[in-house]
Amino acid sequence: MIELDDRTRAIQRQARAWAQELKPLALELDQDPDAIHRHLDVAIVSYLTRMTVPPEFNPDPVVIDGRPFYGTGTLERVVFAEEVAVGDAGMLLAAPGPVMSGVLVDAMGDEQQKKWFYSRIMEKPTWTFFALTEPDRGSDAGAMNTTLTPDGDDHFVLRGAKRYIGNASRADLGIVFARTRPGPLGVTAVLTETSAPGFTAEPLETIGLRGLRITAVTLDDVRVPAGQVLGRHLRATQRGMWSAVQGLNRLRPGVAAFGLGIARAAYEYVLDNRRTLNTTERQRLDRLGLRLTELRQLIWRSAIAVDDNDPAAGSLASAAKARASRLAEEATLEALGCFGPGARLDHPLLDKLARDARGVEFMEGTGNIQKLNLFTGLVQGHLRRD
Amino acid sequence: MTGRTAAADAWIQYRRTARQDGLVPALTLLCETAGDSGPPPGPGGHAVAPVGVAGADTGDVVTTMTVEGGTVVALRSRAEPPSGSTPWAAWALGVTSLRFGLSERLLDTVLAHLGGRTVGDAKLLHQQMVKGGVAEAVIEQLEIETMLAGATPGDLDDGVLAGLNAQITGTDRMLLRLLGAVSFLADGPGQVARVSEVIADVYFGSARAGEHGGAA
Repeated sequence: MIELDDRTRAIQRQARAWAQELKPLALELDQDPDAIHRHLDVAIVSYLTRMTVPPEFNPDPVVIDGRPFYGTGTLERVVFAEEVAVGDAGMLLAAPGPVMSGVLVDAMGDEQQKKWFYSRIMEKPTWTFFALTEPDRGSDAGAMNTTLTPDGDDHFVLRGAKRYIGNASRADLGIVFARTRPGPLGVTAVLTETSAPGFTAEPLETIGLRGLRITAVTLDDVRVPAGQVLGRHLRATQRGMWSAVQGLNRLRPGVAAFGLGIARAAYEYVLDNRRTLNTTERQRLDRLGLRLTELRQLIWRSAIAVDDNDPAAGSLASAAKARASRLAEEATLEALGCFGPGARLDHPLLDKLARDARGVEFMEGTGNIQKLNLFTGLVQGHLRRD
Repeated sequence: MTGRTAAADAWIQYRRTARQDGLVPALTLLCETAGDSGPPPGPGGHAVAPVGVAGADTGDVVTTMTVEGGTVVALRSRAEPPSGSTPWAAWALGVTSLRFGLSERLLDTVLAHLGGRTVGDAKLLHQQMVKGGVAEAVIEQLEIETMLAGATPGDLDDGVLAGLNAQITGTDRMLLRLLGAVSFLADGPGQVARVSEVIADVYFGSARAGEHGGAA
């Protein structure tokens, strides 16, 4: 089994303490996603606004037990994400910050682009977005229709539509994936400001994870300076979809940890609110506790693989994410079953967890997509089986 | 609970109405034919009904849910919980038939939605994993359908009906995962499935993973 080092335990303890602040706010945010604007001073939200900003751009990191934390390591990020999601997954997703976009900027941005992006992040709490998915193309990102075409020497124009894009209606800036020409190498990523004429983001009401505020984005001749096209200093094979896939591989363990946090929240809700359990219930709950531990280990393993640039990282993360989304659903239903008929009405926090759990499936690839990734990793030999 | 006894073919009618017309017409029909001028309370004292069908004196509204074709309320009922009477048996079978019809409607939606989408040059519905997933859900539905066939109130005890409702929830979850992110939107088929789960929760308790057919 994997054990955390002292440094990672420190962020785990701190995140667990911070997360206690979130539970009383969870239903408020579920009811009103704009409530996030009233809670920007909550410690965990404040940390998230700068989490993943690299040391060279973050002179004032959070210090815990005398150690600075930037949130740039995948293992520390998944440990953090689990704890925060136990407090409230909605708040974790609603918070401003650079997490998803930052991974792409780090991978594809030149020095000037990184400086521009992170100076905007450090200026004030700033939401960002990551626009990859298109309407009716969720399972086929390679078939993207959004275009990026030259407009004079110094600009490009974005045309198209994106869907299920978190936080875009709150964001100041983010990343849009678009096609410059047909074929897998014809996709590129562009830093885009939401204030640009032609950019609109309409919120879509969801069943759970309402804090995320997913949106439908329309790009109606949005002009972007040529200097905001990412990866122009890289080889064609390292831009666009390749970078997107690499970035998503890095983010996936965090999504799995997020699902684990929802499952653990449901498990702990039962422990906190059912004083006595019969033998069968106790056995079922013990089994659930073991499954949480197993999943946590798998997530940590995938995160360590990402941090070590292990070729198995993407496959391990797919396994963890597929398991996490399913366990989140199962654990929340199991917990509701411990409270008898009418539990969804008498225990609104548990009902919220059950609704939130359904959303994990669709974040960063469905279970079927993750299984296909895992199979590919297996047959290509990325997964060592010794 | 008191109430009229539904006509002999009512069970298939709840299912058909749910599949063809949706949740609100089917729940309205159920309340009008198997309820006593409204929805009876479940074992925990809650009830679910379309707005307008649940009278102001039915109870205190806990939550309001908008779905295609109308609005449904869940409330804390002022009526006495059921005591194993024939009208309760009629309601319990009716709820199960209705939820099964909604599950069939969800399968219809999945087939239409995925049949209209492509991956590369092929229909998404014709991807092998998707075909397998659909078939798994259909196996569940065939079992449920067979159990419900010819049943009249009291034929299936509450434990069996609770198991069937857990199985319906598990089947719906399979179909929702196939449907993709569209099933997470509050104005789509995922919201109907959510209300269907609330109905099951109120009258039978929530489905637990690992119970017969209750796997999420």
